[in-house]
Amino acid sequence: MTDTTSVLGYAWPMVVSPGEEVAFHLSSPSVSKADAVLVRVRCGDPDPAGPGIRVQEMAAPFERTVSLVHQPIRPGSCAIVADTPALTSFQSFTIGTFVWPTMPGDRAQTILSRWRADVQEGWRLGLDADGHLEFVVAAGGRTWRVATGAALLSREWVLAGASWDAEAGRLAVMVRSVDPQGGRDRSERVEADGPTALEWPAAVPLVIAAHAGDARGELFDGFYDGKIDRPRLHASVQAIDGLYRLCESVNFPMADARLIAAWDFSRGMAGESVTDLSAHHLHGRLRQMPTRGMTGANWDGSTDRWTDCPEQYGAIHFHSDDMADAEWEPTVRFTVPAEWRSGFYALRLRADAGDEPVESFVAFFVRAELGKPRSRLAFVASTGTFLAYANSALRLDQVHAEAMLEGVLTLSRDDVYIQEHREVGLSTYDTHADGSGWSISSARRPILNMRPRGNVFNYGNDTHFIDWLEETGQDYDVITDDDIHRHGVQVLAPYTCVVTGSHPEYISREVWDAFDAYQRGGGRHMYLGGNGFYWRIAYHPTVPHTIEMRRGMTGLRTWEGEAGETALAFTGEPSSTWRSNGRPPQRLVGVGFDGQVFTHSSPYRWLDGAKDPALSWLTEGIDLAAPLGDFGLRGNGAAGVEIDRVDWSLGSPPGTVWLATADRLGYGGTPAPEEIRTLHRGVMGDQNAQVRADLVYFPTANGGAVFSTGSIAWVCALSHAGYENNVSQLTGNVLKRFLDPTPL
Amino acid sequence: MLVTYPEAAHWPIDPDRLDLVEEFRRQPRGPHGDELQKLLHRLRWAGDPDQPGRYVLIVTQPGKEWMLGRLPRQRGRPIELMRNHVFTSIAEAEWEVFKLRWEAVTGRTLPPHLSEKLA
Repeated sequence: MTDTTSVLGYAWPMVVSPGEEVAFHLSSPSVSKADAVLVRVRCGDPDPAGPGIRVQEMAAPFERTVSLVHQPIRPGSCAIVADTPALTSFQSFTIGTFVWPTMPGDRAQTILSRWRADVQEGWRLGLDADGHLEFVVAAGGRTWRVATGAALLSREWVLAGASWDAEAGRLAVMVRSVDPQGGRDRSERVEADGPTALEWPAAVPLVIAAHAGDARGELFDGFYDGKIDRPRLHASVQAIDGLYRLCESVNFPMADARLIAAWDFSRGMAGESVTDLSAHHLHGRLRQMPTRGMTGANWDGSTDRWTDCPEQYGAIHFHSDDMADAEWEPTVRFTVPAEWRSGFYALRLRADAGDEPVESFVAFFVRAELGKPRSRLAFVASTGTFLAYANSALRLDQVHAEAMLEGVLTLSRDDVYIQEHREVGLSTYDTHADGSGWSISSARRPILNMRPRGNVFNYGNDTHFIDWLEETGQDYDVITDDDIHRHGVQVLAPYTCVVTGSHPEYISREVWDAFDAYQRGGGRHMYLGGNGFYWRIAYHPTVPHTIEMRRGMTGLRTWEGEAGETALAFTGEPSSTWRSNGRPPQRLVGVGFDGQVFTHSSPYRWLDGAKDPALSWLTEGIDLAAPLGDFGLRGNGAAGVEIDRVDWSLGSPPGTVWLATADRLGYGGTPAPEEIRTLHRGVMGDQNAQVRADLVYFPTANGGAVFSTGSIAWVCALSHAGYENNVSQLTGNVLKRFLDPTPL
Repeated sequence: MLVTYPEAAHWPIDPDRLDLVEEFRRQPRGPHGDELQKLLHRLRWAGDPDQPGRYVLIVTQPGKEWMLGRLPRQRGRPIELMRNHVFTSIAEAEWEVFKLRWEAVTGRTLPPHLSEKLA
């Protein structure tokens, strides 16, 4: 068994141009030295039935033996307000906020604090280990505490607050339920003795959704799971009605010197700071990217987009496992030589640490520099999809996984690691510890399934196409979703043909528009995958390689977002499927997602459309009476896993030539949820011809064209029988013609 | 929040239906008849409620060797590796897991001719 996890790392940036520097941020808790070699990746799938791991060692100027140290990851999001005189300018005070806790009773959690955990001084409002709201003040070795008698409910809004009356020497904690009906009422007020004067600890940040571990403001603890909406800090003693008025207010026209802070999380939604509306300007910064654009306690259902009514979206959903930045120090720096070809690359780390050999890869991509193509062909690294699936724990956490995959779960060494080490951060397929969906994914952390030897879905499968290009001697450039998003069609335009891989599923509007413009401009697009152009995502406006998505209310979803929370915080755009955004994939690439099949994959059978003599360039050397792709590494067929079909009503172009279909998929063919309008039996692939994979070709404007295979399994069939097979032949035929500039 | 519940699969399993066990043994990877599909759905969906975790396979050599394990229901807890249960084919592993599950859900031991390893 190869140890793929004792050494881990990430490359930053994840995508570099020749001549640019990439830094490898590495960590190991057990290995002190490793042999580090840069490799160009040809095939990342270790399956002995296929080409196996195929990488080419590259010369590099750095010392091969690298020293490693353990660099911990510190997940958990919070807002941090740097210390300022205003935070120690008062004695008596009231704090409060609307909260929607998602894990009350799981462990102690801090909601609002100016607290130092190392010396146990300051004040904090939070939930105790049993879910009661508690307020603690401490100084000079003495601690005062007051807590509610009832635990808060999960996923119910309450106004939660506390006050310290220094003159009376009393503490109070107070709760008012927003909906007190049907057993939900948790409203109460509890008082206890408190101090009459306190000396606040110096140099401690105010923290929302956690508390400071020490005075340095770098370590945090006591992370809270759930939403916080409109937190307030007032230098007076307020009862629940006064606190309610403070928290309900979303603007403060009369400056009130005693209003120390009134945060409005609906401002600067895409950014990493939070805004204070008070005269003190106690703005804060967010760590580990909590989810913004969340409905507040005042959301009334009048809109489902925060851009329409930001004041109803003043909540942030904090998670104790949010993780956007591992914050590791760089271990190795490397400037990519100008002469390097673009491609999939990795730093390979080997060590002999224990019983098992260590071999761990850290992936990065070298892009073809903008405006400097070195080939007429470009292959797109689907970095949006790689990020969306980064460190997926779907099979570990979700009840349906084994039934969906039609067999006992087969887990890799990486899966075994992720089960124990959730601090690496999960994928947009996963739920946080509190059950809410994971909507943000970044590359500033180890991504175990985007590298050679990793789980093959997406990255590994796509390398089968690279392997085929290398095998056939075809030159190519590699470009990435990130680049297409940033620079649009000008990334695609220099190429006569652009190929998208097994699963280009996660697409921003900018990326979609670039492909549309490319195809309209005479470009040739080979889409060799399934379930492509499916989800609408956004890229962070300033942080590279960071995406956001919302699962919305339709589509094949491993979690369902909350009502009113389908708009992206990064951009304000609606998310969900492109189909529900008026752009079914059929319109762009002729076919669109219709189902999954994991029991086995199938061959296609040729249809009359392929027999047109005008398409002899496409079918040359292929027996149209024989099945197309009755072999392959994914289910022994070229049509399978996730599949797409033609649908004229969903926008397949009238000029589409329907070349072949795989429409006899058996009971394992399961339709996507959006394919079923009403409930009835007979929807599975053994009875339903709409569950199928279709192979299509159509010409576009200005001599361009599109060829689509509608199946994830396609590229994993290319190497069958020494690359001499009809899937390989057809792919080669189309590529050859698509690289010929003669108009189609 | 939409939740999936492991106890939702409730197709009644008849412990006398050894014909379904034989059908699975013949073709662990399918295709399977309607009733065997329902039986498998129940077993796979429920995820071994009598065990400390769901039975899973750990790939020890890609495409060649797998080890039985138990995946805890609580995230963060380590997967239990059952090092004495190593398989050289997925079909063999499927059969072993099926037997464990059948005996757990029916409370009955399989007769000798159905309890052997897959040839």
